[in-house]
Amino acid sequence: MKRIAGAAVMLSAGILAMALVVSMFELPPPAVRLPQMVQEKLPQSGVEHPVTAVLLNFRGYDTLLEVAVLLLALLGMLAGERPRPAAPDRAPTDPVLPGLTRFLVPLMGLTAVYLLWAGAHRPGGAFQAAAVLAAAAVLLHLTDLLPAWTSLRLRLRTGLAGGLLVFITVAAWLLGEGRLLQYPVAHAGSLILFIEVALTISLGLILAGLFLFLPDDDERRR
Amino acid sequence: MTSAALDPLAWLILLPMFWATLAFVLGLGRGAWLAIIGIALQLGLALALAGRLLAGGVPVHPVGGWGAPLGIDLAVDGLAATMLLLTQAVALPLAVYARSYFTGDSSERRFFWPLVGFLLAAMNALFVSADLFNLYVTLELLGLAAVGLVAAGGKVGQTAAALRYLLSTLVGSGAYLLGVAMIYGAYGSVSLSTLAPLVDRQAPAAVHLAAGLMLVGLTVKTALFPFHFWLPPAHGGAPAPVSALLSALVVKASYYLILRLWLGILAPLLAPGAAIAWLAGLLGCGAILWGSFKAIGTPNLKMLVAYSTVAQIGYLFIVFPLLGRTSPGDAALQGSVLHAVAHALAKSAMFTAAGVLVKATGQETIDGLAGVATRLPLTLFAFALAGVTLMGLPPSAGFLAKWLLLGAAIGQGQWLLVAVIVAGGLLAAAYVFRVLRHAFLPAPVAVSSRPVPRMLEWVAFGLAASSVLLGLRGMEILRLLAAGGSS
Repeated sequence: MKRIAGAAVMLSAGILAMALVVSMFELPPPAVRLPQMVQEKLPQSGVEHPVTAVLLNFRGYDTLLEVAVLLLALLGMLAGERPRPAAPDRAPTDPVLPGLTRFLVPLMGLTAVYLLWAGAHRPGGAFQAAAVLAAAAVLLHLTDLLPAWTSLRLRLRTGLAGGLLVFITVAAWLLGEGRLLQYPVAHAGSLILFIEVALTISLGLILAGLFLFLPDDDERRR
Repeated sequence: MTSAALDPLAWLILLPMFWATLAFVLGLGRGAWLAIIGIALQLGLALALAGRLLAGGVPVHPVGGWGAPLGIDLAVDGLAATMLLLTQAVALPLAVYARSYFTGDSSERRFFWPLVGFLLAAMNALFVSADLFNLYVTLELLGLAAVGLVAAGGKVGQTAAALRYLLSTLVGSGAYLLGVAMIYGAYGSVSLSTLAPLVDRQAPAAVHLAAGLMLVGLTVKTALFPFHFWLPPAHGGAPAPVSALLSALVVKASYYLILRLWLGILAPLLAPGAAIAWLAGLLGCGAILWGSFKAIGTPNLKMLVAYSTVAQIGYLFIVFPLLGRTSPGDAALQGSVLHAVAHALAKSAMFTAAGVLVKATGQETIDGLAGVATRLPLTLFAFALAGVTLMGLPPSAGFLAKWLLLGAAIGQGQWLLVAVIVAGGLLAAAYVFRVLRHAFLPAPVAVSSRPVPRMLEWVAFGLAASSVLLGLRGMEILRLLAAGGSS
């Protein structure tokens, strides 16, 4: 029975894949040319890179909701978990690994700042910078330099939610001036940078939290 | 432009997101009052929006001031305004209920308020969005918030139900996203207002495929039979306020989106009485029969209410074969939207009442209800009143909804649908009376009853009473639905 069901699923997935491929071949040229519109409005967006302009300005509202999605992912993970005791500190065993990490982590911090700054005119931005910061935190944890997070103190909560709060506050404030997230052209660049700095910190903490809040594998085995 | 600062359209999304984030910063389990005040304000905003619509306005909000297709538009019509009003009106009493329901330091409460805030923000954003991709983002936000609420507490059964729910909802939104990508590939835009004049009967095959994928994905999220498998454990296993929110509102959000696409941009692809419309209608019939059958058989009280949701979702889909033969404001559409409203009130009443019963008896089984008729008469009355709405007896809103659906089905000579609508009402009576019969049995001698906050009983009763009394005010809802040129 299970084998028949599996075969049926495989077969329908195969048919769907074929249909998708075939239908792609007869696509007409699109009636609306969004990339051109983005290029035309780019000077008014406050940044020079089209991806950042779409993410933070033209479709900034999508990004606002996406940041909420990331925070929500962490909340969902924490909500489904039982509170657990703090893990005991473990003595580092290998001298090479912590040494290398101590050397690498400041460089990663520097890279994150660069990525954040570069987002205005070339590929980069808050999400990429946050991913690098989170990777640094994970590296620190894996080499036992940073203990797992066991409690949500006020400072950590503020850090996790701060980016979203800043984003919402700016959105609400701009609503008073015109529309939701309608940046005044003169200040668009600095406002976007301000939001991106806040987002980098919060997203970095959220992404790191997805790993550092997880129960320790060693403890679980014990 | 000066009125833009107070535009209810934008605040309905910003406000719940703001108090949700603030509640998280305040601390674990905190933020109940913040939430109650926030939802009360949201209810005021939804009323203001409905008033604006009834006065002849067509509220549109181009986010960022760019306008579609470059930016994202928010727009409200009668259908959206009805759903917005319903969502805030049901969420407010449920928030009051939840504040009394979670006692002490229960682990289920730790992230309850932030999750509820994001859930409401996602639904409000979904109802007003006029952009296919933005709709996908709201679906993700909604799905994650709902899964988080089901998982809260971390009991083994809950985690399993939440994971099953997560995977189903991800498959659903994945299929929807694939459809959106193909539509973008075909037309170069994801804005509903831009796409509406572009989609026609001669659309390329990719668009037909996209339409199918989007509708199937949303159907999985709405838990239409046979995709209902994830719903009973998720809705039945969660704490009562969460079950009520999910059953009353969350499944309606993806249904709303199906309705919006069906009547909107996908309408040119769907001939009246098309095979896919009949497929949806027949699955709806299957849902009514199967859901009721399971509800009559289950030994667990909350599972009974959850299977009843599976059955009631069927009514929402019976409408599709009846749609589109007459004007947009036809009786079939009115009936299905009214059914969504009536079911939201009745089901939230039923789950809140079930929560009181479970809390008081300490048992989840229907057999354990013996004797509650004398100890918790108000709650049992609330359960029965909600049952009246589900059975479709006058003067309830459920009666009005079934009356409109029956009228449309008889008018078009669809006797199969007529038979299922009538049978569904009788089956609902069977499972409601099953609960009532056990409640009136004499209590066993060694029964221990725990005290329950009175507030919980009154909220259940208020919701149930409004689901019945709304039948007398049905015309106002239909007027709002028709306002602003319903899609």
